[in-house]
Amino acid sequence: MIVELFYRRQALILGTLSMIGLLVFWQIAVDAGLINPFFISTPSQVWTEFLVQFEDGQVAANVGATLYCFVWSMGLATVVGIVLGMLAGWFRDVESALEPFIWFKYSAPTVAFYPLFIAWLGYGTPTIIAIAFLFALTPIYANTLSGIKNIDRDLAKAARSFGAKPLDIFLQVALPGSVPVMMAGLRLGVGRALTGVVVAELFGANAGLGYAITYYGQLMQTTKMMVSIVIVILLGVILTQILSFLESKTDSWRVDSGR
Amino acid sequence: MAQIEIRDLGIDYRKPKSNEVFSAVDNVELSIEKGEFVTIVGSSGCGKSTLLMAVAGLVNLSRGSIKIDGKQVTGPGPDRAVVFQEASLLPWRSVRGNVKFGLEMQRWNGGDLNERAMQMIRLVGLSRFSDYHPHQLSGGMRQRVNIARALAVDPDVLLMDEPFGALDAQTREIMGTELLRIWERHKKTALFVTHDIDEAIFLADKIVVMGRNPGHIKEVIKVDLPRPRDEAILDSDDFHSLRKRLRAHLAEDMSSMQLVKEVA
Ligand SMILES: Nc1ncnc2c1ncn2[C@@H]1O[C@H](COP(=O)(O)OP(=O)(O)OP(=O)(O)O)[C@@H](O)[C@H]1O
Ligand SMILES: [Mg+2]
Repeated sequence: MIVELFYRRQALILGTLSMIGLLVFWQIAVDAGLINPFFISTPSQVWTEFLVQFEDGQVAANVGATLYCFVWSMGLATVVGIVLGMLAGWFRDVESALEPFIWFKYSAPTVAFYPLFIAWLGYGTPTIIAIAFLFALTPIYANTLSGIKNIDRDLAKAARSFGAKPLDIFLQVALPGSVPVMMAGLRLGVGRALTGVVVAELFGANAGLGYAITYYGQLMQTTKMMVSIVIVILLGVILTQILSFLESKTDSWRVDSGR
Repeated sequence: MAQIEIRDLGIDYRKPKSNEVFSAVDNVELSIEKGEFVTIVGSSGCGKSTLLMAVAGLVNLSRGSIKIDGKQVTGPGPDRAVVFQEASLLPWRSVRGNVKFGLEMQRWNGGDLNERAMQMIRLVGLSRFSDYHPHQLSGGMRQRVNIARALAVDPDVLLMDEPFGALDAQTREIMGTELLRIWERHKKTALFVTHDIDEAIFLADKIVVMGRNPGHIKEVIKVDLPRPRDEAILDSDDFHSLRKRLRAHLAEDMSSMQLVKEVA
């Protein structure tokens, strides 16, 4: 029975084991004097420091500030990306009109706009939200666009044969058919929004996980810095997992259809 | 006057990546009576689907006209319903949801949609599967849903494009028999495209034999086998002679195809 359980949860168990292995290796390597803890700290020190920062409210404050920017940027990117993506996927002219911006966005690194946003919006939250918004926008827009555009022609024809109007075809065929692709876009967007927030916080903020990372980094306090890095990683994993879960909920009709 | 009147019909398509135009179907004249079951046979690419889609109002006519009950066909209408070769069901909807789909699109207001859908699902023998999704059904079951969806809107004319094309011979036979059972009860006019000679004879009051280059009608064969029919007629002498006649037609077409290949 244990063997059976192992096979069912194989990926999860193996993933966890390799993570634990890494932590153990990290700890042992530092304890044995192979690596200078100054560069990387140790798991036990990070844990102790985490408890300290948790007690004095730093963790809550930083996570709160980062999540605030994350929610705003992700929310805006979701609304704007999905609306524009749907319009561009349905109307060829809208797609053509938006195309240069997308190329622009693909080829120029978003961070390059950072000084521009500082000039427009000043240091702090609005700029962070704007940068993260741009980070997250592209995959959400692009996936929505391709989902709507790659509508199943046979289904559209079948709908037309029953007298469906264009709006019916959009709402009943194109839209439900693109939900899984849109969800995949949102999952990518979540990771990128978080990256965007943290990167922007590295450059200029007075709160947040990215801010804490630069702050302690500049003071060369590796352990304190590692706490925020680990929290960012965990946050990213948790948020992406939530989206993956939602994704699997929405495309249950698709998962085993092709097999 | 016949229910469906096709006069001097021609449909041109543009060849891909060029401005050249070719006729997929030309000079088609055909009359179909109300309640008649008409099958269309012909070699692959001879324009069977094109003809059917024209009657469905899903392709534009280049020449001629199609009239149903005296009214010119200009697009899809509630008097017709199509059963496509690929089941073309919405994968995110259940069987019941799919059967309701046509009704929803037509803004059907003849009572409770669920009730109506369930009635049709019972008719095709899928009551136990009404909450299943298409990917949980076999090919044959999907085609039953496809048929139920078309029947649900209560069309005068049922247009079927090789609905059993993807099924094995045995399932095909069963589905054919069942389709006749349903048709005999509701007496809809039916246009049924098939590759299968036996199927074409078994179902038909009248077989339309099409030829290629461009698609045209070679012959219309009356089938006077008694109804209701069952598998037993497959062994009758009349059936055999019809089968022979159709085989000869199709063989002729195949050899002309060979010729085209050799010339090219
Ligand atoms: N949308 C289209 N655009 C251009 N050419 C087309 C289009 N649809 C069909 N054709 C061409 O028209 C001809 C007739 O096609 P059609 O699908 O009607 O044949 P068919 O008799 O149904 O063949 P099959 O038995 O293989 O289904 C073919 O040469 C095909 O390439
Ligand atoms: Mg065809």
